[in-house]
Amino acid sequence: MPDLTPLTALGHDQPQSVTYGNLTMGDCPDLALASLALRRDAPVPLPFGLDLPGPGGYVASAEVAAIWTGPRQWMIEAKAKGCTDFAAQVKAQAPDAIVTEQTDGWAAFDITSPDGAAIGRLLEKLVNIDPGTVSPGTASRTSLHHMNVLLVRPDPCCLRIWVGRSFAGSLWHAVIGAAGRQAA
Amino acid sequence: MLIPHPLLGLRDAEEFVYLGDASLMQRPDPDSPTALTDFCDYVFLRDNPAGVHRELWFHEQGDRSWLVVTRNTLTHEILGAELATDAARPTVTQEPSA
Repeated sequence: MPDLTPLTALGHDQPQSVTYGNLTMGDCPDLALASLALRRDAPVPLPFGLDLPGPGGYVASAEVAAIWTGPRQWMIEAKAKGCTDFAAQVKAQAPDAIVTEQTDGWAAFDITSPDGAAIGRLLEKLVNIDPGTVSPGTASRTSLHHMNVLLVRPDPCCLRIWVGRSFAGSLWHAVIGAAGRQAA
Repeated sequence: MLIPHPLLGLRDAEEFVYLGDASLMQRPDPDSPTALTDFCDYVFLRDNPAGVHRELWFHEQGDRSWLVVTRNTLTHEILGAELATDAARPTVTQEPSA
């Protein structure tokens, strides 16, 4: 077996981090993602004890979170599980649901700032959504520079962007470009 | 142009893909004796109203739901939007009381 070196979505062997002003951006390769969809009339499960959120919602426990992505479908996100078979763990929690591995298909980026308003100003430049609605506990699927993204707001000081893994470089370019101009 | 998504509120029309006349949801019965002409009308003929039009929009860059949007083709005013799954649901007709 050849000794392969795992690379992050940005093509490095370590996560990247850039700071402009009070905004810090970086990729999060240790996050795991799996989709969960329900068959018609199936009861709503409680994976990892999460009360699956309604439209536009985001619910998190200490280690796991659920992102609403459409009627009767969610993404389940987990910290420090990026290298594990997370879909199998979700399937064990919700045996009747349709669960698909998404970790390798998506890449996550965290934008953090002690000043939540700075994240709002960055959003104004990046997406055509009212930044006021991207409040803590919400998740929105929208387009950013023509790329399909999931915007997740775990708390006022953090914005997480999930994007298709092959778009990671383009998203990074868009986000650090906008943040750099904001700090200038 | 903003589309009032019934679940998510106002969303940019750029997030959506337009399919066309909402009457496409009423597919003719393939077993009907007039199926050939019915399908000819269904596939090829469309009304082109100057005014209020019900049409299908797909929220491709969002929650992937199909909407039936009512739009005025003269002013582009959006008069309403509902989930296509709700619009397609057969209306419950009351049984005549015995």
